Amino acid sequence: MKKRNLSILLAGAMLAGMLAGCGGGGTAESQAPTESKGADPAPSGTELNVGVFYYNYGDTYIASVRTALDAALDAKGIAYTDYDGNNTQGTQNDQVKTALSNGANLLIVNLVTSGAPDAAKAIIELAGDVPVIFFNRAVDTEDAPDVTLKDNASICFIGTDAPEAGHLQGKMVGDYLLEHYDEVDLNGDGTIQYAMFKGDEANVEAIYRTQYGQEDADAVLTAAGKPAMAYFDPSNASKYQVDQSGSWSTQAAVDYMNTNLSQFNEGNGNMIEVVICNNDGMAEGVVSALNAAGYNDGKGKTIPVFGVDATDSAKELIKAGKMTGTVKQDAEGMAAAIAEAAASIGSGSSTADAISAAAGTNADMYTIAEGVANKLYVAYAPYMGE
Amino acid sequence: MTNPVTKLRDTAAHYKTLDGKDRKRFWSDGILNNALYILMAAFIIYTAIANDKFLTPNSLTNIVTQVAQYLPIALGIGGCIVLTGTDLSAGRVVGLSAAVSAVLLQKLDYSRRLLSAFPDMPIALNIILAILAAMAVGAAIGLVNGFFVAKFKLHPFIVTLATQLITYTLILLLFMSNGNNGQPLSGLREEYVGFVNGKMLDFGNGAALPWVVLYAIILVAVMWFIWNKTTFGKNMFAVGSNPEAASVSGVNVFKTTVMVHTLAGMMYGLNGFFEGARLGSIAQNTGLNYECDAIAACVIGGVSFVGGTGKISGIVLGVFILRIIFVALTMLGIDQNMQYLIKGAIILIACSLDMRKYLAKK
Repeated sequence: MKKRNLSILLAGAMLAGMLAGCGGGGTAESQAPTESKGADPAPSGTELNVGVFYYNYGDTYIASVRTALDAALDAKGIAYTDYDGNNTQGTQNDQVKTALSNGANLLIVNLVTSGAPDAAKAIIELAGDVPVIFFNRAVDTEDAPDVTLKDNASICFIGTDAPEAGHLQGKMVGDYLLEHYDEVDLNGDGTIQYAMFKGDEANVEAIYRTQYGQEDADAVLTAAGKPAMAYFDPSNASKYQVDQSGSWSTQAAVDYMNTNLSQFNEGNGNMIEVVICNNDGMAEGVVSALNAAGYNDGKGKTIPVFGVDATDSAKELIKAGKMTGTVKQDAEGMAAAIAEAAASIGSGSSTADAISAAAGTNADMYTIAEGVANKLYVAYAPYMGE
Repeated sequence: MTNPVTKLRDTAAHYKTLDGKDRKRFWSDGILNNALYILMAAFIIYTAIANDKFLTPNSLTNIVTQVAQYLPIALGIGGCIVLTGTDLSAGRVVGLSAAVSAVLLQKLDYSRRLLSAFPDMPIALNIILAILAAMAVGAAIGLVNGFFVAKFKLHPFIVTLATQLITYTLILLLFMSNGNNGQPLSGLREEYVGFVNGKMLDFGNGAALPWVVLYAIILVAVMWFIWNKTTFGKNMFAVGSNPEAASVSGVNVFKTTVMVHTLAGMMYGLNGFFEGARLGSIAQNTGLNYECDAIAACVIGGVSFVGGTGKISGIVLGVFILRIIFVALTMLGIDQNMQYLIKGAIILIACSLDMRKYLAKK
């Protein structure tokens, strides 16, 4: 009897699931055209039903954007649903489909595959005439900048200028080195030996940060008549070490740094003299490894370590003198701009108008990209403690 | 254990009785059966020649330290593999228990403490509490794994895939709780970091072994004892090689399976506790995919997915091989793109050789 009940229950659940699945698919097809009938992408007078798609809940910076954006949307009384793409573009596309079939009339998308116009186009096609606000992760490639944004009036982008973090970090590193040159140059050979930790081999932000973090620092140094930095390990031709899992992880940085320190140290006269990291998570890992080797305890000898993100824990490390600098990516500023744009679209404006409405709220923090009316930059800021 | 000298003498005597064809076979079999070790030896020699810093005390202590850090999870997962299973939740459990340890051991005056109210207790008590909590977290998830595997005869792949996901939710919720807002957990008490990462033996010139090496040795000894000298260990191998036969001969298969998974969970918990101190900053993705390396280490070390075979010494060797590969490739400055290929090839070769031995026995 018991067994039979269970199987009936299971069969029922399966049937219900199948029906729900079919139903969902059906509405997706029937609903998209109905919505596109209106002249406005999201007709005013309709309640906004927003789907917010994050690339990965596990990302520290994205987690702080999520909290800030949830609060900002709540404050504006906008109904929303959050989705976790779990670092898989396919999952995100499926979520977009599901949200649309569920009646979403505005999408806020944190693309999983950054700098991939095709991935963005797939979502734009799914969305039809439903407007899409992309944020944080780039839509277009550097070779063909803003093509997708210019081609699609129903979308906009709110994010940071990908190379800017690298430029700011590089300049910060260069300035710091100039100011403390002899102190940093531990072996006194006149050149600074640097290490570079890259978060992900395939991510455009990581690529820019890796490139400009070093190039701009060198530019500052050479402009002041000092030699450019030298990568600490002459046998490594790529001049960086990358998290092989592509997750910008603390653990990868610890493993590399321990291994590096076992052959490059003061005893051998070839100590790494400055460390540049793509994000704060890796920078914290480097600090942990240096701690274990007796450096960066806030009192004794300190190897300058630089990151990006200005996470709370990195700020604490900087405050304690264990880390030197980071680049602040303002999660709340990002969230405020997205919420403003969403509200503006909800009241019937086009995406370009929504962008200028958001830009108008804080001229210091937001700039509209030159010649691209539907692209908004949120400023980065160097952070070396308060 | 047989005396290696007598063993060698026996082999030599046996070798003398062979004719030409069999002798050839003896050598080719010998080379194939030990191909992995021969390859590793060649690899180590090559690395040592190419980079004279590879065999310095600094580098060797670094390798040993990394092995110690990656050992507990492999020791735990080994038991699951002996039962012809696996454990996909291991990495996430390490992450969760690392987070739990960090939460309990953040500095009291740290401004971003997740536990805002926490009694001030002696550090020794605090550390013991964190170890117990980390082990309890691991054991609880292991218990769930074991229960569903044993009770519903589900394949561990399915069960642990499910608990891996469930554990991730727990991690995400923990990180979002009490206004922590997904930020990494850091600001750990210095005594905690010192307890794990502090120098146990200092050889000078930067070469030192941290305390975690000692803990790893203790864990190896404990696990060796459990696997080889207890009824539970013998039951584990019996269930692994043939659950029906084990059941008929009076082994409680249900209890054994649950216990193996729970014990494994405890190991992940301890690994998480160590990992917290090592990283100094725990994020949501800490522990992600750790099980891959652990499973690879076990199979390289001869813990077979066929079930019922495996040795603790093999697991230690497997972890050593993986860490040596990581360190050596880093030191040689090998192109990052090629490193996945090398690791993949080694896993494939190791497992093929292992199965070859098994098939020959059959």
